[in-house]
Amino acid sequence: MDFDETVPLSQRPEWSDVVPLTQDDGPNPVVLIAYNDKFRETMDYFRAIYFSDERSPRALRLTEETLRLNSGNYTVWHFRRLVLEALNHDLYQELEFIERIAEDNSKNYQLWHHRRWVAEKLGPEVAGRELDCTRRVLSLDAKHYHAWSHRQWALRALGGWEDELDYCHKLLEADVFNNSAWNQRYYVITQSPLLGGLEAMRESEVSYTIKAILANPANESSWRYLKGLYKDDKETWISDPSVSSVCMNVLSRTDCFHGFALSTLLDLLCDGLRPTNEHRDSVRALANDEPDTNLANLVCTILSRVDPIRANYWAWRKSKITVAAM
Amino acid sequence: MSETAVSIDWDRSKSEDEDDDEEEEEYSSPVQSFPGPPPPPSANFEKDRHLVYLEMMYELLPYHYQSQEINRLTLAHFIISGLHFLGARDRVDKDVVAKWVLSFQALPSNRVSLKDGEFYGFFGSRSSQFPIDENGDCLTHNSSHLASTYCALAILKVTGHDLSTIDSELLLLSMKNLQQDDGSFMPIHIGGETDLRFVYCAAAICYMLDNWSGMDKEKAKNYILNCQSYDGGFGLIPGSESHGGATYCAIASLRLMGFIGVDLLSNDSSSSVINPSLLLNWCLQRQANDGGFQGRTNKPSDTCYAFWIGAVLKLIGGDALIDKIALRKFLLSCQSKYGGFSKFPGQLPDLYHSYYGYTAFSLLEEQSLSPLCPELGLPLLAASGI
Repeated sequence: MDFDETVPLSQRPEWSDVVPLTQDDGPNPVVLIAYNDKFRETMDYFRAIYFSDERSPRALRLTEETLRLNSGNYTVWHFRRLVLEALNHDLYQELEFIERIAEDNSKNYQLWHHRRWVAEKLGPEVAGRELDCTRRVLSLDAKHYHAWSHRQWALRALGGWEDELDYCHKLLEADVFNNSAWNQRYYVITQSPLLGGLEAMRESEVSYTIKAILANPANESSWRYLKGLYKDDKETWISDPSVSSVCMNVLSRTDCFHGFALSTLLDLLCDGLRPTNEHRDSVRALANDEPDTNLANLVCTILSRVDPIRANYWAWRKSKITVAAM
Repeated sequence: MSETAVSIDWDRSKSEDEDDDEEEEEYSSPVQSFPGPPPPPSANFEKDRHLVYLEMMYELLPYHYQSQEINRLTLAHFIISGLHFLGARDRVDKDVVAKWVLSFQALPSNRVSLKDGEFYGFFGSRSSQFPIDENGDCLTHNSSHLASTYCALAILKVTGHDLSTIDSELLLLSMKNLQQDDGSFMPIHIGGETDLRFVYCAAAICYMLDNWSGMDKEKAKNYILNCQSYDGGFGLIPGSESHGGATYCAIASLRLMGFIGVDLLSNDSSSSVINPSLLLNWCLQRQANDGGFQGRTNKPSDTCYAFWIGAVLKLIGGDALIDKIALRKFLLSCQSKYGGFSKFPGQLPDLYHSYYGYTAFSLLEEQSLSPLCPELGLPLLAASGI
C-alpha cells in the first residue's frame, strides 16, 4: 500500500475534504460494541464515501483499510465491487488483493464470494490460478470448507479437472484421515466430465479404498467412502465379494479396531446379504461369552462392547433387525 | 459454521449461522487459551455465572467483537435468547429491545416506490444502515439480510413481541426475490453466496410469521435433498462435505416446511424424502470418544455441534441414543469459570459457543433451563408464542 496506515485518516491531507459520517445508534441502543478508535474512525470515513457514492481510487484504497478491520461487512465488499467496475480496475490485481486479505483470515464467506465474482469475470483463463490459490490455502488447512467450496465451483465453472484425482490422492497420502479429501475424491469420480461416472470408476475405486482401509481400519472416512461407491445400488453392494471380504480381513486381525468392519457387516446383513460360515466364524471368534443368537444380533452385541459410546445405538439396531437379516 | 449461523456462520459465523467450523471460526474468541493448565471443570451447569456473563455482554460487548459488528443483531440474539434460556428474560427491558430491533427493518419510503428485486428484511447492524437521502430514499443502500432477519424475529419472539404488528406481506413478497432457480437463497438482494444456511433462515422466517408466501417450498426441498452426501449427512451446497451445521439447516428446514414428521425413524424409511437410517448413523457417529460432537468426520469435538447435531437427532427421534453422560462431561469441560462456553476445552468463552452450550444443555434437559424448540433453535415458550 502506498499510504501509512498508522496515521489516522483525519490527519491525512488526502482525506481533509471529507466529513466523516458517524454511526447513528439511535435513542436507546442495545448491545453496544466498544469499538476502538481506529475501527470507529475508519468506518466513519467509509460511511461518508459510501453515502456520497464516490467511486474513486482513494475510495478503493479506503475499502481495503476497512476490510482489514471488518472483513465480514458485506456492504464494504459490495461497494468495492462498484468501485472496481467504475474504475475498470485490473482484476488480476484484485485477485492478489484478495490473497493478501486472506492471509489474515480466510474463513470468511464474503471474501470467497468476492473472489468468485472476480474469477467469473475473468473466465476459464484463470482456472489454473483458482486451483493454485485453493491449493495454497489447503496446504495450510486441508479441511478448509470455503476453499473446498471454491475449488469445486472453479472446477465446475472454469474447468481444470485433469489432475484433480491425483491431487486427492496426494492429500490422502499426506493424511488418510482427511475426510474433506475423500469427499473431494467422491466429487471428482461422480462429476468429472473426463471420467465415466460412479459405475465406471467403481472397480478401481473399491480397490483403492480397500487398500486404505487395510492400512487404517479405524478410519471412518474410508469405510464411508466404500459404502458411498455403491450408493443407490444395493444389489451390487451386497453381492460384490470385495465388501464382505474386507470386513472379514479386518476382523481376522487382532491388532486393530473392529467397529467399522462390524458395522459394515451389519449393514450388509440388514440389506440382505446371506451369511456364510466364514462370516459366522469370524464374528464368533470375537465374541466373549455372549449368547450365540443369529449373526446380526451377535454383531450388535459385540459392537456395544467395542464401541461403548454408541451402546444405545447398537442396542436399538439390534431391536430393529428383521427376520430376513437373521 | 461460521454461518445459522446465520448468523450462522459456523466457521466463524453462523448465523447460526452460520459455521461449521466456518461459522465457528468467525464467532470464536480471539484469545486462544488460558495461560497454564486449565482449572478443573465444575461438575455442574453454573447458571449464576452464565447470568453474570450474559448481563456483562448485554451492557457492553468488548472490542474483540467489533470485527463481527455486521452481525450485531445475531450477537444480541445470543445474549437475549440466552438470558431467556436461563429464565432471566426480565433482565432486559422488553419494550426498549423491541423498539431497537424494529429500527433495523428496511422499509420503502412508500409502497409505490417498492423496487423490483429488493429485500425488505432487517439490517444486521447500524453500519449497513444509512440516513434517508434528499429524495426521501434510503433504498439505494438497502442491504437487509436473511440471517439478520431471522435473528430480529427470534429476539422479538423471545421477548414476547406480537409479530403480527410487522408488515409480513412486504417482507415475504420481497424475500421471494432471493430464492434462486435451484431452490437455494441468496442472503441479500445485492448478491451473496447461496447455501443451506439461507434456506433455513427463509424457512424459519416463514414459520415465525406463519405465512409461506415468501418461498417455493418444493424447490427448496429439492435443493436440500441435493445436499445430502454419500455418507448420510448434508453439505452446505450440493457436492460439499457433510457438516453438522449444514445438516441442521437441512433437517430443521424440512421439519419447518412440513416435509418430515416428528418421528422419522419409527416410520417406514422407504417412504421418507431423505435416507433417515444413514443420517442417524452419521449423526451418532459424530459423538467422539471424548463425549463431545464433532462437526465433520475426523475433526475435533466442539461445543456447538452438541446443539447442531443433537437437535437433528431430536428432530428425527434419535436423541435417546446419544451417550448423554459423556456429552455432559465434555460440555462441562468447555464451561468457563467466568460463565459462558468455549469452542474447545480450556479456552476463553465467546457468545456463539455460549449460546449453543445453553441450547445443548437444554437438549440434555438441564433442570434450570427453558426447554428447547429444536427446529427454531429458540426457547420453546417463545417459539410457541406463549
